[in-house]
Amino acid sequence: MKKVKVLILRTAGTNCDYETQFAFELCKAVVERVHISSLVERKDRISKYDILVFPGGFSYGDDIASGKILANEIKNKLGDEIKKFALDNKPIIGICNGFQVLVKMGLLPEPDVFRQSSTLSYNDSGKFECRWVYLKTCKKNDSESNCIWTKNLPDIISLPIAHGEGKFIPSNKKLLSTLNKNEQVVFKYSTKNGDIPQYPLIPNGSIEQIAGMCNAKGNVFGLMPHPERYIFSLQHPAKKGFNKKYGWGKVIFQNAVDFVK
Amino acid sequence: MFEIEVLTKKDFKNPQNEHILSDIASMGIASIAKVRYSPLYFICGKIRFSDVKIIASELLIDKITESYVIRRCSDLDVKDVNLKMNSSASIIEVWYKKGITDTVAESVVKAVKDLNINVEVKIKVGHKYYLYSKESQTTLNNNPIKSVIELIATKLLANTLVQDCKIR
Repeated sequence: MKKVKVLILRTAGTNCDYETQFAFELCKAVVERVHISSLVERKDRISKYDILVFPGGFSYGDDIASGKILANEIKNKLGDEIKKFALDNKPIIGICNGFQVLVKMGLLPEPDVFRQSSTLSYNDSGKFECRWVYLKTCKKNDSESNCIWTKNLPDIISLPIAHGEGKFIPSNKKLLSTLNKNEQVVFKYSTKNGDIPQYPLIPNGSIEQIAGMCNAKGNVFGLMPHPERYIFSLQHPAKKGFNKKYGWGKVIFQNAVDFVK
Repeated sequence: MFEIEVLTKKDFKNPQNEHILSDIASMGIASIAKVRYSPLYFICGKIRFSDVKIIASELLIDKITESYVIRRCSDLDVKDVNLKMNSSASIIEVWYKKGITDTVAESVVKAVKDLNINVEVKIKVGHKYYLYSKESQTTLNNNPIKSVIELIATKLLANTLVQDCKIR
């Protein structure tokens, strides 16, 4: 059986890398957490990995804007390699701050364009929001997700969020309709029953309640909630999960590992 | 030397504006109608205007929700006069005092190098608040406007132990 190699890219302020490593290791992947400076010195290393992760945290202290400095650094120093990784159809995930990085460097929504066309801006409340939320899994033709990371999930799941800048804003209506048409919207904030939520169930005022999205091919995925914080049912406030042991976050990591295998 | 002011585009809101307004109301000052906040970046060094534009557009603003204004340092006094003439706002600028570590500025210096702009620059990061009053510009809450604005600046917007504020 092929060993799936995962690269978790970290820098100053990254703080969810250990949990993410644990989640992938639980899915039998081999994980390395690598500092960006080390990666810049040996850019060729990136292609040796099967999955690339931009974890959550507060890269560079969220200075200027969340994810902005890291997005610029990656784009200027590793842009070609990262773009190639994405276009080779290898799985990439950006979680919370990682999602902000993907969007601000322009790898989402379209890696081949690789130019910022949407943003994750300040929550409407103007505050850092931290709680469990309900997410509606958007499915292709109501059967399965277009995104390789979100197969085998129920229609509604819960995940924790923790961010101050999570309001998804596309540059224009045309982009929004393209995202919908291509089934690139992966998660939407919802009520327990899948209806459109009000604050605080939608924590940030995201346009069309978007909480997570992928590229058209479905291999590059970004989301504001933290799946690595819901690996075991014990982590859920009501101890809910599946198989009496696991949380739905684990399925997201397992999907990527299975895709590579 | 250049100053870059980051502005929120017309169709977007900066939630910080409402928070500051609410905090001002909590101080018992009901006569401020609107607040507008802008981050400021002061760039010092032998840097070309074209590079400053790259820093502003590629690094300091969010292209979707924000725009920017660049002012050469020599323009600053003129700008202030214009603002006074064209705007009903009182303006408060907050900057770190000399010698205080400005960690955001250090991050910006690092990020400028990431843009392949290899000029030694010094950066200062500041905050600019436009306060629009409900009443005439001579009094606020029946007090001289200057004293009310000074109160807001020193008690709410600046930590005077480590920050200076300029009122215009």
